[in-house]
Amino acid sequence: MRTTDLLHLLQFGDSAFPVGAFSFSNGLESGVQHGAVHDLSTLEQFVRTAIHQAATVDGIALLVAHRSAGQSDLDAVVAADRALIQRKLNEEMRIMTTRMGRKLAELAVHMLDAKDSGANPTLLGQWLDQIRSGVTPGTYPVGLALVFAALRLDGRHAFAAHQYGVAAMMLGAALRLMRVSYLDTQAVLLEVNGTAEQAYQRIAGASLDQMAGFAPLSDILAASHRHAHVRMFMN
Amino acid sequence: MLAGVVPELAPYQDEPKQLPSGGLGKDAFLRLGFERRGEKTALIDLYRRAPLLVQQALYFDEEMPNLACVPIITTSGGVLQGDRYAIEIELTPGCQAHITTQAATKIHEMDANYAAQTQEIVLHEGSYLEYLPQPLIPHRHSRFVSRTRLSIATSATLLYSEILMPGRKHYGAGERFAFDLFSSTVFAVRPDGAALFAEKFIIEPHQADLRQVGVMDSFDVFGNVVLLSPKEHSESVLAQVEPVIDLASGLAAAACRLPGDAGVVYKVLGMESHAVRAKVREFWSFVRREVVGAELPKEFLWA
Repeated sequence: MRTTDLLHLLQFGDSAFPVGAFSFSNGLESGVQHGAVHDLSTLEQFVRTAIHQAATVDGIALLVAHRSAGQSDLDAVVAADRALIQRKLNEEMRIMTTRMGRKLAELAVHMLDAKDSGANPTLLGQWLDQIRSGVTPGTYPVGLALVFAALRLDGRHAFAAHQYGVAAMMLGAALRLMRVSYLDTQAVLLEVNGTAEQAYQRIAGASLDQMAGFAPLSDILAASHRHAHVRMFMN
Repeated sequence: MLAGVVPELAPYQDEPKQLPSGGLGKDAFLRLGFERRGEKTALIDLYRRAPLLVQQALYFDEEMPNLACVPIITTSGGVLQGDRYAIEIELTPGCQAHITTQAATKIHEMDANYAAQTQEIVLHEGSYLEYLPQPLIPHRHSRFVSRTRLSIATSATLLYSEILMPGRKHYGAGERFAFDLFSSTVFAVRPDGAALFAEKFIIEPHQADLRQVGVMDSFDVFGNVVLLSPKEHSESVLAQVEPVIDLASGLAAAACRLPGDAGVVYKVLGMESHAVRAKVREFWSFVRREVVGAELPKEFLWA
């Protein structure tokens, strides 16, 4: 991997990249409020559940979109985008993924157009147009796939950045929601990142109709969040 | 049937020692086509092949006397390795039907192959279907794959539920999540083919810990209910659902909007089937009151 490519990966995979991830907890707020998550062990389990779902649902759409981008096939990218939103049965999860997806596309089109990076943001720009005209929902994993394709980075790297982002978002939220220290959350992050290779191998060749998961308690916690009286996060 | 497109079935392609998989007596087929006859809904188009059996529509619901009530019977005492079931249900405009099963569906222990089921449910304009089968009980080492396609017109209503037991919970030392594979796909489309939503579960208890926080946690029974209905109905039902999350007493349930204004999904976790069924029944009562303006019939004493 070239050093500049590595820096691109770091920049777009950074949890502080301004796509608004800090507004979301990916269901953790509700998990803490209802006592399902109450210590470091339950936090780690909850994050593991979330990144497993992220791999077997979002990760498949991401890799399919990345492959389609490699063939400049916008229709196939839109198909992956739609298939993913149809599998987000929770509305706050749909809001999260489309807000972050659109924000990412706007930022990346602006950045990549502005400089001569050797990147090819044409498809990304077309996808953003399709989001604006309501043709496609604009999910974050598909956006990440297109950004990485524009920068000629591998699908595997986009997958890694997405998995990292989900765990980092939840562990960042945990610092504000629970009595845990950043030492603890960083240790959990290191631990759960160790599962990423196996997760990637499992879904690397999967097609859209293989997107599958099973996390009923997470689903129920996410669905009850809109009823919460006090909310720090949007999901 | 499903084997070519379902990679999770790859380890289970061996043939059982009994009747060949999908052969005579193991390739059940049901076609239930409903039509309006005056005020009543009649089961006009009935085709059945063992081991599934439907005899005729009954009209036992005193709150909805014109509702065609159809219990699906199995003549083999449960789902066995190598079984392939196919069920087609179609409601022509204005029909109202209630379909259930005679008893809980036992998915028997397997040492070869798998069992599969496909369902194709088509609802035309203004029709109303309650499809509420009894719970599924997957026994040790069972492998079951189900794929359900729902085609629904914009003015129709479908209430669809699946209740999954962990196994024979109190059998022997306890049989909880000892099955090999439970895979269930439900997806919905409009009559023109436009996709509404899709949900696929793959549960492999020997591969991943189901007791993890966020998955089954300490719960044993999972109910998944889908309501597809015009927006005004589904919004009214959603407003009536009070979420409950009580880990200490072992009950959690909440509902949310499906994508594309398709309706509502309602998920329930509990410790025993009766508690989950009670929540599903409550949701069912909201739906029936909202959409039809009728109450639920009293529960059978033996239900």
